Amino acid sequence: MLNNKIEILRAGIYSSIQDLRRVGFKKYGIPKSGPMDEYSHILTNWLLDKDIYSETIEITHYGPKIRINFETNVAIFGSNCDAQLNNKKIEMGVSIKVKSGDILDIKKCIDGNRAYLGFSGEMKLKKVFKSLSTYEKIRIGGISGKKLNNNDTIYFKNIKKPKIKKIPSSFIKRYDQNNIVRVIKGIHFNKVKNEKTLHENDFNISPNSDRMGLRLTNNSIKINSNDEIESTVVTKGTIQIPRDGNPIILMSDSQSTGGYPILGNICKVDISKISQIKPNKCIRFKIISLNESNRILEYEQKKFKSKLSIDLSA
Amino acid sequence: MIEIVPSGDSIIIIKELNNLKSSTLTNYIEKLNLTEIEDVISLKNSVGIIFNPHKITSSEFIKNIKKLISNKNLTNNKSLKTWKIPICYDKGFAIDLDEISSKCKLDIDQVKKIHKESTYQVDMVGFLPGFLYLGNLDKSLHLQRKKNPRTHIPEGSIGIAGNQTGIYNIESPGGWNIIGRTPLRLFDKLKEPPIKIKQGDKIIFEEITKKEFNAY
Repeated sequence: MLNNKIEILRAGIYSSIQDLRRVGFKKYGIPKSGPMDEYSHILTNWLLDKDIYSETIEITHYGPKIRINFETNVAIFGSNCDAQLNNKKIEMGVSIKVKSGDILDIKKCIDGNRAYLGFSGEMKLKKVFKSLSTYEKIRIGGISGKKLNNNDTIYFKNIKKPKIKKIPSSFIKRYDQNNIVRVIKGIHFNKVKNEKTLHENDFNISPNSDRMGLRLTNNSIKINSNDEIESTVVTKGTIQIPRDGNPIILMSDSQSTGGYPILGNICKVDISKISQIKPNKCIRFKIISLNESNRILEYEQKKFKSKLSIDLSA
Repeated sequence: MIEIVPSGDSIIIIKELNNLKSSTLTNYIEKLNLTEIEDVISLKNSVGIIFNPHKITSSEFIKNIKKLISNKNLTNNKSLKTWKIPICYDKGFAIDLDEISSKCKLDIDQVKKIHKESTYQVDMVGFLPGFLYLGNLDKSLHLQRKKNPRTHIPEGSIGIAGNQTGIYNIESPGGWNIIGRTPLRLFDKLKEPPIKIKQGDKIIFEEITKKEFNAY
């Protein structure tokens, strides 16, 4: 049992353990953290017969090289990556059986920013605030509260050997085109002075973005800001307009309250997609109604249920 | 009348509280243990609820919450907690004390006296893990945030900005004018809850010397 472990030979640019379990701690200022792209995280877990909340390794831009010391299934999904098992190219979106001693080498993320790596076992790590999600600001989750480092070891328990699965093509996304992001008007939308530019011009994703927020440049929003704005609740997908007019889209490690005007909230279904759009690429906002967003959510929920038997409301 | 508005597809905000304190409503809603609720966040004049939109739509959720609140004769809890927090105004900790004194046109003893004599109310917990926003700062100490935020503010630092004073309970970057420091560790990531002070509680500062600070 003690040999059920993986060794991190090369950590990659920013690889961290994330799950969807840290719910309910925002009242203390502790973010939910978790995968930036929840969609790909959930599907990675599906490939391994694990529930949607289970932990995966979130790989950013360039991935880790790992020696696996036990028999297990692995799966990678999200951005397309240049990935190899024992120097042979492997596919994204399928589960793969690996043997003890195998070397998994995940290199560059090609069309997106992040990919998720899962195992058909549970990581033997201590949960903090119900979760293994890494949040480096207060050093919680992951291995000693840190992103993966070279020479880290992760032990596993409850290893299962589910049958091989493949993600159906209707669930495969491409991230290098169609960068329309659907947005529900926010509580301060009526303060926007240049609404036209919002609909007609693109924004760029700044390379200065991180797990807290995506910064947008190249198209600034002017706000009528004579009156004070009272702090209000924000969440993943909330678009804030700071004084310089360059929007910030809050992401997984974001705070729970904010005093900047709120332009809108990205409809939940599109948040995962936006996390994959590469720095310096363009996006454009499309305003939709709350009802429309609810219809999109319902459609997504039915699709997951009918095709993959995943209950998103579980 | 209670007014509730949606913010996106995953948040609702209770705006008009019908003379109820936000902490009263927050307590009540948390105790309902509704499975669709992820977080209930108590703000000064409102309550925000983050929920799972796969479980319920915001319009249904708003209807349910309205019904639950209006069917219940909620009264404000009068016994709010008061916390005594030691503060040291030594310049080694109060790195902006001289600047505060000159900008507010008060001498340093007056600044300390005014700061420690108010009883503060916790307007909000959050933004940073464990950060406490305290309202009721005396008008004579209202200052803007620093133009260039510092990259490191030590844990326990107490700052002033706008009409609030605040406590940094973890080391972090920040733009508040630092007026003192508390030796208390109010945020402990190894405990649940990591911080016991809640929105709505009262805070009184008690001045201690540097010697007393170091003895903590």
